[in-house]
Amino acid sequence: MDDHQLAGTLDAGPLAAKTPVLDTVTTEVAAVSGIEVDAPLPAVRLQGVTKRFPGGRNHDPVVAVDDLDLDIRDGEFFSLLGPSGCGKTTTLRMIAGFEYPSAGSLQIFGQEVGLEPPNKRPVNTVFQSYALFPHMTVAKNIAFGLEMQQLPVDEIDRRVAEVIELVQLQGREGRRPKQLSGGQQQRVALARALVNHPKVLLLDEPLGALDLKLRQAMQLELKRIQEQVGITFVYVTHDQEEALTMSDRIAVMDGGRLLQVGDPEEIYDRPRTRFVADFIGDTNLLIAEVLDADTARLYDGTVVRVPTGAPAGSTVTLAVRPEKLGLWHADAERDLRLDALTGTIRRVTFLGNAINYEVVAGERAPVELVVRQGNTPGIEHFADGERVRVRWLPGSVAVLED
Amino acid sequence: MSLTDTSGASRPLVADDSVIRPKRGVERLLAGNAWLVFAFLYLPILLLFVLSFNDNRVVGVWTEPSLRWYRAMITDSAVLGALRNSIVVAFISTVVSTILGTAAGLSLERFRYRGQRTYDGLLYLPVIIPDVTMAVMMLLFFVQAFDLLGAMLGVSATFGIGTISLSHIAFNISFVAVVVRARIVGLDPSLEEAAADLYASRWQAFRRVTLPLIAPGVAGGALLALTLSLDEVVITSFVAGPGSTTLPVYVFGLVRRGVTPLINAVSVLMLVGSMLLVLASLLLSRQRNTT
Ligand SMILES: Nc1ncnc2c1ncn2[C@@H]1O[C@H](COP(=O)(O)OP(=O)(O)OP(=O)(O)O)[C@@H](O)[C@H]1O
Ligand SMILES: [Mg+2]
Repeated sequence: MDDHQLAGTLDAGPLAAKTPVLDTVTTEVAAVSGIEVDAPLPAVRLQGVTKRFPGGRNHDPVVAVDDLDLDIRDGEFFSLLGPSGCGKTTTLRMIAGFEYPSAGSLQIFGQEVGLEPPNKRPVNTVFQSYALFPHMTVAKNIAFGLEMQQLPVDEIDRRVAEVIELVQLQGREGRRPKQLSGGQQQRVALARALVNHPKVLLLDEPLGALDLKLRQAMQLELKRIQEQVGITFVYVTHDQEEALTMSDRIAVMDGGRLLQVGDPEEIYDRPRTRFVADFIGDTNLLIAEVLDADTARLYDGTVVRVPTGAPAGSTVTLAVRPEKLGLWHADAERDLRLDALTGTIRRVTFLGNAINYEVVAGERAPVELVVRQGNTPGIEHFADGERVRVRWLPGSVAVLED
Repeated sequence: MSLTDTSGASRPLVADDSVIRPKRGVERLLAGNAWLVFAFLYLPILLLFVLSFNDNRVVGVWTEPSLRWYRAMITDSAVLGALRNSIVVAFISTVVSTILGTAAGLSLERFRYRGQRTYDGLLYLPVIIPDVTMAVMMLLFFVQAFDLLGAMLGVSATFGIGTISLSHIAFNISFVAVVVRARIVGLDPSLEEAAADLYASRWQAFRRVTLPLIAPGVAGGALLALTLSLDEVVITSFVAGPGSTTLPVYVFGLVRRGVTPLINAVSVLMLVGSMLLVLASLLLSRQRNTT
C-alpha cells in the first residue's frame, strides 16, 4: 500500500502543485527527467561512497562513511538519522562538496559531481550554526548567492522579496543577524539557501539550537515550506521523533553504514535490525526459536505467528512495540486471531497520556515485556502483581536480521 | 589604622569590619605603588617634553621656553632625510608584510598541507630571535646575495632603503601573522563554506566574507608592523647603507656624539607619532568589539 502511494506521488510529480516561486526549477527538473524513459532520475544518487579521514589514534584512517548506496528521490523530504558520529554530517558535506569522497560515485540528477567544488553544484546548505554573514544585513545575506551568480539586480530584488515572504521575515530585511532571535536567524539561513532555487536543499540539524516549543513550530514550518516549493530536502538529524514527523523517507545510519531506508511507518513498524528497532522508539526484543516458515516459539513455550524467513531450529530476535500490545485478564476467554502470552505485572508506570505495564511471563526463562496502553476513558487499569494476558495481532511483530 | 577607628555607635551587628580593615591597608599600598610606577614611567616623558621647548644650547640648563629646536629640526636636512627614509621604509614594509603575513595566517589556519607544522613553528622564529642575531643574519644574507647577484647577473646592488625594507618585512611578517591568525581562529569556518555553497569562487569568498571579517585583525597587524618598523634600530643600523639611515638610527648616532636639545625635539616627534598609532589601534579594537 505504501509503495503504491509513493509511486503515485512520484508519477503525479511533486512538481504538479507548485507555487510560482520556483517555476524555473520546475521546468529544469521536468526537462531532465523527460530524458529518462522509465524511472525518474533520483535527485541524489550515492554509489559505494566511502569517506576516510586521515589520522586516527594509530594513524589508521577513520572511516566516517562506509560504502554507502543511496537514492534520494526528486521532491521528497529525506532524513539521514543516526546517533552522534555515525557519519550523517560527512555524508551531507560530500553532497554539498565540502568533502570529497575517498571512493564511489556521487550524482545529482544524473550528473557526476563527486569532485566538483561546492560553488559548481546545484545544491544549497542550511548550516547547523546558520553561518549567516555577520557583516551583512538580512537582505544582503539572502541576496549573496544570486549576486555571485550575477543575476540582474531587479531579479535579485524580486526573488529576495519573494523568499522573505515565504519564510515570513517581512520588515526585518535591514537587520543584522545578531539583531535577530534564533528562530529568525534560522529562517534567514533557510531563505538564503532557498532563494537560489537549488535542485537539492541540504540541512544539517537546522533546529538543533532551538528550544523545544520553537523547534516543534519550525518542524511544521519547514515541512510546509518544503511542500510549497517542492524541492528535495536532505535533512540530517539525530532526533528520531523529528525524522518520523517530517520525512517522506528515512535512512538510518550507524558507524558509517546504512542500516535501513524506508518511509517512517516502515522504519517504525518493520525495523530490520536490532539497532534500528532500538534507536527508534521503545521496543520489546524477544528471542525465539524458529518452528517453520510462519511460527516461532518463545523461551517460555508460547508459540507466535511471524513470517520467520529462517530455517527451522535457528534462533531469531523478534521486535514488537509496547503500544501494539494489549492487556487482558488472564482468565478471560482467548481470542484465537491474536497471539498471547500469560504473565504477571511487575510494575505500573503512569506517563500521563499512557500507562506502562512491565509484564514478566514464564518461570525458568522469564520473558519481559513492556505494554503501553493509552490513558483513554473507559480503558481497564491493572494493578501490580495481577495475572494478565498480553495479546497482539500477529502482523505487529517484526523479525530482525541480527 | 587601629581597630578602634570605626568601632563607633553605628557599628553593624554583623561584625565583619575586621575582615575588611586589613584589606584597606593593602589597597592603599597598591594605590601608592600605582602612583609610584606611574611617576616613574611618565616623569621622564614630561621632562623630555618640557626640555624640548628649552631655548638653551645645554640640555640641562633651563632659560626660557621656545620652539627653537623644533625650528631647527624641520630645517635640518639630515633629520628630514632620515624621517623620509623612515616613512618610506615603514610604508613599504607595512604593506608587503601585511599582505604576506595575512596570507601566512590564512594558510596556517585554513589549509592542510605537508610540512605545515614545521612552517608553523618557523614562522614565529623572528619574534623570539634576539634583534642582534637577526641583524647579523640579515647582514650576512645580503652580503652573500649581493656577491651572487654580481657574479651571475653582473648587477651590483648596495645597502640602502631596499635592504632596510626587506629586513623589516622579514620580521614584520611574523608579527602580522600572529595578530591576523588570532582573528581567523575566532572565525567560524562554515562562513567560508557558506560562501562557497552560495556560488562564490575562492577569491570571491575571500573578498566578500573572509576579508571583511578579519579586517580588524589585518588592520591591527598593519599598525603593529608600522610601529615596529618606525621604532627599529638594531637591525636597521646593520643593513643601512651610507646616507640611508632612518630616524631612530639617526637619533642613536646623534646621542653618541653628545646629547643636544635637537634630540629632545626629534624624540617628542617620535613619541607623538607612536602615541597616535597606539590611539588608532585602540579605536580600531573598540570598533571591533561593538560590531
Ligand atoms: N574532518 C575530520 N577529520 C577526521 N575525522 C572526522 C572528520 N570529520 C568527521 N570525522 C569523523 O567521522 C565520523 C563521523 O562524523 P560525522 O560528523 O559525520 O558524524 P555525525 O553523524 O554528523 O555526528 P553528530 O550527530 O555528532 O553530528 C566521526 O567519527 C568523526 O570523528
Ligand atoms: Mg553532525
